[in-house]
Amino acid sequence: MSELIVLCRTVDVEDDTPISVSPDNFPTLAVYVHEGEYYVTDNLCTHGMAVLTDGYQDGDEIECPFHGGAFSIKTGEGTAPPCFTPIKTYPVTVLDGNVCIAQA
Amino acid sequence: MASHKITLSGQAITFECDEGDTLLRAALRAGLAFPYECNSGGCGSCKFELLSGQVDNIWPEAPGLSDRDIKKGRKLSCQCVPTDNCDLKLRLNPKFTPKHTPAKSTAKLYAIRQITEDMTEFCFHAEHEARFEPGQFALLDIPEVEGSRAYSMSNVPNGDKQWHFIIKKMPAGKGSGRLFAEYKLGDTVTLDGPYGTSFLQPDVPRDIVCVAGGSGLSPEMAILKAAVVEPRLADQAIYLFYGGRTVQDICPPALIEADENLAARVQNYNVVSGADAAKASSWSGEVGFVHELLSKKLTKPLAEYEYYVCGPQPMTDALLRLLIVEHQVPLEQINYDRFY
Repeated sequence: MSELIVLCRTVDVEDDTPISVSPDNFPTLAVYVHEGEYYVTDNLCTHGMAVLTDGYQDGDEIECPFHGGAFSIKTGEGTAPPCFTPIKTYPVTVLDGNVCIAQA
Repeated sequence: MASHKITLSGQAITFECDEGDTLLRAALRAGLAFPYECNSGGCGSCKFELLSGQVDNIWPEAPGLSDRDIKKGRKLSCQCVPTDNCDLKLRLNPKFTPKHTPAKSTAKLYAIRQITEDMTEFCFHAEHEARFEPGQFALLDIPEVEGSRAYSMSNVPNGDKQWHFIIKKMPAGKGSGRLFAEYKLGDTVTLDGPYGTSFLQPDVPRDIVCVAGGSGLSPEMAILKAAVVEPRLADQAIYLFYGGRTVQDICPPALIEADENLAARVQNYNVVSGADAAKASSWSGEVGFVHELLSKKLTKPLAEYEYYVCGPQPMTDALLRLLIVEHQVPLEQINYDRFY
């Protein structure tokens, strides 16, 4: 198993308030919590102009601040136009109260 | 006039909101980069959370809010009129800095030009300058009609305070219904504008493709009129694709013919969606949907053009899917304001 890196503490993330993190060797990432589960995606919309954590989390979707497009935070797929190209998602491990993903 | 002081939580920003003005309009009048698109309750781009103070929500059922938004206490800044000083949670975005400060004045109807059976150009003379970007819109308040109506200007900015709008008569529309049925020369509306974040980009050296359906033609006419005389776009090819239901809807050829600058530069392609109606009226042109026509008529890869789009939701969604998914057109090359 590849080594884990810590993105943030679980208590840093609140329901419907995703946070932006910038670990080494990764693009900027968004960390979400929904119904007690943590999710991590790239934080740039696939058209590259918008930071998703500037938008609004609506349940298991993140609404892009531009044009009302949306992505699933679980699978990364686009759920509302003009978001058609999926965003990258990262498997999350919660360890000792930290939100972690595999090292790049 | 009484006004309320509005602050943005955690940011050193304060602006005044005049009695009766919405938060969004007041913020844009103050030159602030408030995010928005439609300014009409439809798109949801202007959501905020009210941390303290009181607002009057003029359209609580606005489609721009989901049930979850309502449960979370989110509101639309375009539909909230403060009744007290307010503190808001909202993120500004420089992309939305207004190029022209919107202003409100009484505008008098001075010309009516019928374009098709159900589309007419209404020409108003306002009290404030017609400073706007081609493609922008204004909000019209029609006496005795509740709420404002967003209509895009069909003319170009001018020194004569003239604001023209191509408007479609909507079957159940109270605003357009009143304009079409009752308005005569000399009648007035309250005109507030300009608004809108989709407009001609004169510095983009790409060929221009305007795509419109219905009264979406209005902003596209403004963009075309400005583009054909813009020295920075002298080498660009300029296209207009227009979709109508029936042959009678196909008005662009006559509008282009009437203006020698447009006639000299604009390549116009039209399509009728009603196959039976097309057959019945011996239409020899294209039948189908406007997005289908683009790949047939444009010769370069679609990712090499700059797009200006205004039309009904099914048209816009089908076009976006075609351009973004099938042809990898970067979204920043597609200019449109979302009203839904």
